[in-house]
Amino acid sequence: MKIFDVSQRSARNLKQAKARTLLTAMAIGVGAFALTMTLAASNGAQSYVNRLISNNFDPTELLVAKDETIFGRGDNNKPQEYDASFGSISSASGAPIQVKQVTEQDVNKILKYPLVEQVREGVILNVQYVTRPGQKKYIANIQDYSPARNPEILAGSIPKPINNTSLLLPEAYVSALGFKDPQSAIGKELTIAIRKSLSSQIVETGTAPRNLQDAEVIGDKSTVLVPFKVVAVLKSEPAQPGTELSLQISTQAAKNLNDIATAGTSQYRQYTRVNVKVKDGEDKANLLKVQEQLSKDGFVSQSVEETQQFLTQIINVLKTIVVAFGLIAIIASVFGVVNTMYISVIQRTREIGLMKALGMRRKDVSRLFRFEAAWIGFLGGAIGSGLAVVLGTLLNPWITNKLDFGTQKLLIFKANQIAILIVLLVLVAIFAGLLPARKAAKLDPIEALRTE
Amino acid sequence: MISVKNIVKTYGKKDSLFKALSNVSFSIPEGSTVAIVGKSGSGKSTLMHIMSGLDHPDSGAVMIGDQELHKLKGRKMDKFRSTEMSFIFQAFFVEANQTCYQNVSLPLEIAEEGQRKIRIEDALGQVGLKDKIDAKAGNLSGGQKQRLAIARAIVNKPKLIFADEPTGNLDSSTGEMIIKLLFKLNRLNKNTLIVVTHDNELADRCQYRITLKDGKVVHFAENKKVSK
Ligand SMILES: Nc1ncnc2c1ncn2[C@@H]1O[C@H](COP(=O)(O)OP(=O)(O)OP(=O)(O)O)[C@@H](O)[C@H]1O
Ligand SMILES: [Mg+2]
Repeated sequence: MKIFDVSQRSARNLKQAKARTLLTAMAIGVGAFALTMTLAASNGAQSYVNRLISNNFDPTELLVAKDETIFGRGDNNKPQEYDASFGSISSASGAPIQVKQVTEQDVNKILKYPLVEQVREGVILNVQYVTRPGQKKYIANIQDYSPARNPEILAGSIPKPINNTSLLLPEAYVSALGFKDPQSAIGKELTIAIRKSLSSQIVETGTAPRNLQDAEVIGDKSTVLVPFKVVAVLKSEPAQPGTELSLQISTQAAKNLNDIATAGTSQYRQYTRVNVKVKDGEDKANLLKVQEQLSKDGFVSQSVEETQQFLTQIINVLKTIVVAFGLIAIIASVFGVVNTMYISVIQRTREIGLMKALGMRRKDVSRLFRFEAAWIGFLGGAIGSGLAVVLGTLLNPWITNKLDFGTQKLLIFKANQIAILIVLLVLVAIFAGLLPARKAAKLDPIEALRTE
Repeated sequence: MISVKNIVKTYGKKDSLFKALSNVSFSIPEGSTVAIVGKSGSGKSTLMHIMSGLDHPDSGAVMIGDQELHKLKGRKMDKFRSTEMSFIFQAFFVEANQTCYQNVSLPLEIAEEGQRKIRIEDALGQVGLKDKIDAKAGNLSGGQKQRLAIARAIVNKPKLIFADEPTGNLDSSTGEMIIKLLFKLNRLNKNTLIVVTHDNELADRCQYRITLKDGKVVHFAENKKVSK
């Protein structure tokens, strides 16, 4: 019997038992629904991570630090030997921890590596305040602008390279600083106030404060005001967490401010991490060579790819959990398919007997039922995935809004993934139909034709 | 020639051994009509199953032309059955949920043969069901169902048609019509018709009558009165 005829006959048989077919298919549909949603959600998460990475990191750069803690790998539960390069940062839980920092000598050393093009110190600095004439003062933090960052711009533009008096202003400061809209902030001057460190105050005044009031007076006098010009207003981008309230300026300007704030302290010209740009860093071999050299010299480094892998790993764990539930649903549905197929075989014993008496081959009889199972699998997959796509597409804007994902969609459906999923479900259903199909193929036509 | 030689068929094991057929032998020319008669349990259906290759004899042979039937194995046996034989049953065995067209199409699909539409229309025409081609078989009357089964049996132009009590489920006038149809088609298509029956009237119209009793041929008669 030709495959086409076999598939036609099995489709016809299914149509005769619509309710039974549909109910069995629905069991598979539940699994298909869960898996389609999971795939879509992890696609969304993956694309979020990718965007996060590509909007914030330059793939030819390495993140370099002295302390493994920076990359979440170190063990800071043990006492470590002191040296002058230790500085204090906040741990993920907010507790202050001490980490070894990258010094100026370190930077110079790295700059001498043959494959290193440039070293950009990463500066994050809390300044005293930001203001402009006639407006209130607001607290602020300063970050060096990485050229790899690709933020959404509401007004103005980011010059390349960014010069040392330019400033990128987050959206939130526009109305706080009295601008009526982002456009009207462009080209305006802001003042950033930064206080010199206590030790440099002592050096400059020649006296140490004898009491707190004294210190306050000297401190106020030693506040330095630095002017900056707004060149662009940035949309606060959830894809760049932590930058919502950061004023971004050039690396050199950020370093200058940092120098003012830390002169005379142990923190002077020390950085928790630096960005090392590798010559022809698109070539992974070059990145690896530099990483090797760095690790020989006692640095820890992480490539963008490694950062991405770290984030992807988290997604994968979550994905595995949901996929496991989807698979359990599908395994449960296998029993449903087996049961339905057995009923179908028993109901059609006489028909099978007749077909075999008329010379239908065993393998064609078996195929007839495997096709039936395949149809059920296909139906279940199509219904489940279809429902997931429809529901997902309808709910996507709402979910995205709730999770504050910005323009990023949480659920991304990919046609090829869904196609593969359905094919797999068809195979699972065929597998479930194997035993009943075998039973049908082995029926003795004489026995079968005797049943009334 | 179709020859049945020394067929023995037993059922059961040692203690409860039961001989359903013992040393059954006879020959009939191809294209003839044959009635197998006998009391219930005499072995008529068993003989038919063996002659059609559905069942295997313990010993003996069935020759269809030059072909020893039970020498055919697997694919070849299926092929032989799908092209050379067909069946008509007492209980019709038509698929109620399928149309007449789909019912008659089955043997052609199994034998992987083409030109289906013409052949199906022709077969349905021969049994007078052409206007029911797209009707569901379940909606037909008993006589129409058996005519549909006959159409299914002739669509493949088989050499051999086996009919097991074809009129058993029909009233006498409908049965009479079915009998007439079977003989008419036999003359037209020149196939061999082997009918298992209790019906003496039916048996009388066949060229050969084989009477079984307890698995043995007790009477073999050629009916000279029936014209070819
Ligand atoms: N599979 C089997 N196992 C055991 N005995 C069987 C089997 N098939 C048939 N028989 C026995 O063989 C004998 C002949 O059976 P068969 O069906 O050929 O009779 P029949 O002449 O067709 O009767 P009926 O007119 O009632 O259809 C019966 O006694 C029956 O019980
Ligand atoms: Mg019988």
